Amino acid sequence: MADTIIASQPTPAWRLAIRHPRRKTLVAFGLLAPSLVLLALFTYWPIIQLTWQSLHGQQRVGGPQVYTGLKNFADLVADPAFRKALVNNLIYAFGTVLPSLVLALGFALALARSNRINTVLRSLFFLPVLLPLVAAASIFLFLFLPNVGLLDYYLAKLALSGPNWLGDPDVALWSIMVLTIWKNAGYYMLFFLAGLQAIPADANEAAILEGANPWQRLRYVTLPYLKPTIGFVLVIGLTNVVTQVDHVFVLTKGGPADATNLLLFYVYQQAVENYEPGRAAAGSLAMLGLLLALTAASLRTLERSFGEPES
Amino acid sequence: MTTTRRSLLAGAALAATFAMTPAFGQSPTEIELFFPVPVDGQLARDMATLIKEFNEGHPAIKVTPVYTGSYDETLIKTRAAMKAGKPPAVSIMSANFLRDLQIEGEIQPLDTLIKADGKSNDQFMGQFFPALSGNAVLDRSVYGVPFHNSTPILYINAEHFKEVGLDPENPPKNWAELAAAAAKLTKREGDRVTRWGIAIPSQYDTGGWLLQALTYSNGGRWFNVDYAGEVYYDEPSTLGALTFWSDLVKNKVLQPGVQQNGAVSTAFLSGQASMMLHSTGSLTFVRSNAKFPLKVAFVPKNLQNQVPIGGASLVVPTGVEGERRKAAWTLINWMTSPEKSGWWSRATGYFAPNMQAYELPEMKAFLDKNPDAKVAVDQLAYARPWFATYKTVPVRKAVEDELANVLSGKKSPKEALVAAQKAADEIMKPYVEQTALKLPGSN
Repeated sequence: MADTIIASQPTPAWRLAIRHPRRKTLVAFGLLAPSLVLLALFTYWPIIQLTWQSLHGQQRVGGPQVYTGLKNFADLVADPAFRKALVNNLIYAFGTVLPSLVLALGFALALARSNRINTVLRSLFFLPVLLPLVAAASIFLFLFLPNVGLLDYYLAKLALSGPNWLGDPDVALWSIMVLTIWKNAGYYMLFFLAGLQAIPADANEAAILEGANPWQRLRYVTLPYLKPTIGFVLVIGLTNVVTQVDHVFVLTKGGPADATNLLLFYVYQQAVENYEPGRAAAGSLAMLGLLLALTAASLRTLERSFGEPES
Repeated sequence: MTTTRRSLLAGAALAATFAMTPAFGQSPTEIELFFPVPVDGQLARDMATLIKEFNEGHPAIKVTPVYTGSYDETLIKTRAAMKAGKPPAVSIMSANFLRDLQIEGEIQPLDTLIKADGKSNDQFMGQFFPALSGNAVLDRSVYGVPFHNSTPILYINAEHFKEVGLDPENPPKNWAELAAAAAKLTKREGDRVTRWGIAIPSQYDTGGWLLQALTYSNGGRWFNVDYAGEVYYDEPSTLGALTFWSDLVKNKVLQPGVQQNGAVSTAFLSGQASMMLHSTGSLTFVRSNAKFPLKVAFVPKNLQNQVPIGGASLVVPTGVEGERRKAAWTLINWMTSPEKSGWWSRATGYFAPNMQAYELPEMKAFLDKNPDAKVAVDQLAYARPWFATYKTVPVRKAVEDELANVLSGKKSPKEALVAAQKAADEIMKPYVEQTALKLPGSN
């Protein structure tokens, strides 16, 4: 229909020009060029540089950078701090992504109906997202402050005393995880709210007619419809746990005794504090590989759930 | 088309004018100063004031102060600028980074500049407190000029002292008195501690520094001042110091786990801790925020009074040459002169490295008014260099991670120090193999 309307008018010259196949490719490249240039400059070129750096190191203290093969990668794997950071990052990933997902879904389900109270509550839950991570961490630094912090202040009113939230190697990572969950749940809630809007009303109505209880409706109607959203949020969540360490800088600097050291912070330490650019580059590449694998896996799950026929 | 060409021509003419300007007037030598602010925002404004005064007095030089964040960030940014081929003419660098920078060839010796002024290195360094030489003079060459410095010191809440029957005029002088005072000052409600006798920061950077202070007070050496490949973590003097620290936790007068600098000064200022070991660099901040009578004292000793210095020095990165180098030297000498040194000291609480600063009337008046600042200066007689080795930060972190393990009850002091020594030796191995263990016959 639309085509016939356009065809009935004289076709402008530019439109004819881009219909030519070769021209079409050119135009496509032209349109892609800005982001391609940016990607090349700020993503692909750094990756090439990183790869070069990961294969080079000092042979002599104070000496020039020479080719050292895979030595940096071997050093990386042999470094207990790297293994510790890897394990921490895994605990951190599971311990933050799953709870924030569940919380976000809970918030979204509770606040799905649009009314004035829910709008206010949604904004409240979304508020932490608006804060930069560094600022949020500074606030939590105060909450976690031993003796005088808000947390200990209220515990003291109950005649209790808390642990050293950021200074105890057994507790610090969990304290940091609380911040991450608090910060991210509201963000993921947005996606779930959008996902819930997309569920056709008749699916739920049919389920009610069939006598499904709320739990069954959640399990057999809502969750299957939300699958693509869950996959998407999973990708974002996993990317976040690898790429965001601002709060580690502010709260613990990876301590005590590497208890809160995460991969990206480890890379920073190698590059800056230890002055081992080669090992830092190797660490970055390892992280990049990990991220690509995680994203590919999540995206595949995502596509599969998109491709599923509606039943 | 014509407009484009015309504007191009105009642009070229303009560029030519700019290019020719230096030929007409004597344009000033432009240099940058990278400076960190370890404490708070006020200091950044103080630095701007200081540099403005320099520029007004030196029309041939134009200094642009560049605020570069913390000590660590200043190191990163200086290195990044050097990599890009545009090193700053002067950087204010944490005094314990100088050894690493010298080993990597990233800062230049200042000997020829000192010689051109008709002085020997000893004469030049003679204007500063002797304790500061160890972190500035490396392999007999001067690599840095001390700018502001600190030592650890004991802060005391005099009100709490009186409350429990201790005399604030007679503060703890040794470890036994310190432990006894801490026990007396601690308050409990059942099992819950409501006031800690003492607070000691143990975060990265400060933890190592204070363990060094206790080890020095216990007669120890901590690290080899003359050789960058040796530390003495697994030694009786260090073991005694760490055990003393850990016993404070065991006796429940010091909170277990790692404590951060900010948390410690907050606890002290809010009356949740009655004493604290902290840097003299915090003195101005603590003095102006304490709502109780404040006292300071030397770090208590076990065997001797001895503390490490802290603070920062002015360095000239490698690659700064010619007029820029000369201008850098003029700036450095001006900033470390007795007048400016003293002014900066009064603004910050750091002590002035230049001894002459304390002969000036305004400084004498200041010390009369603030006797606590005088205690900090008096302790300098017992100060020694700050920990600095090949790869200073990770070698220090090796012992700080173990300190954290001890303070949270995960390891005994002995186990911890054996592990710290092993980790530190591993990090310094490449350097040791190419220096002390590089022998004739091997390669």
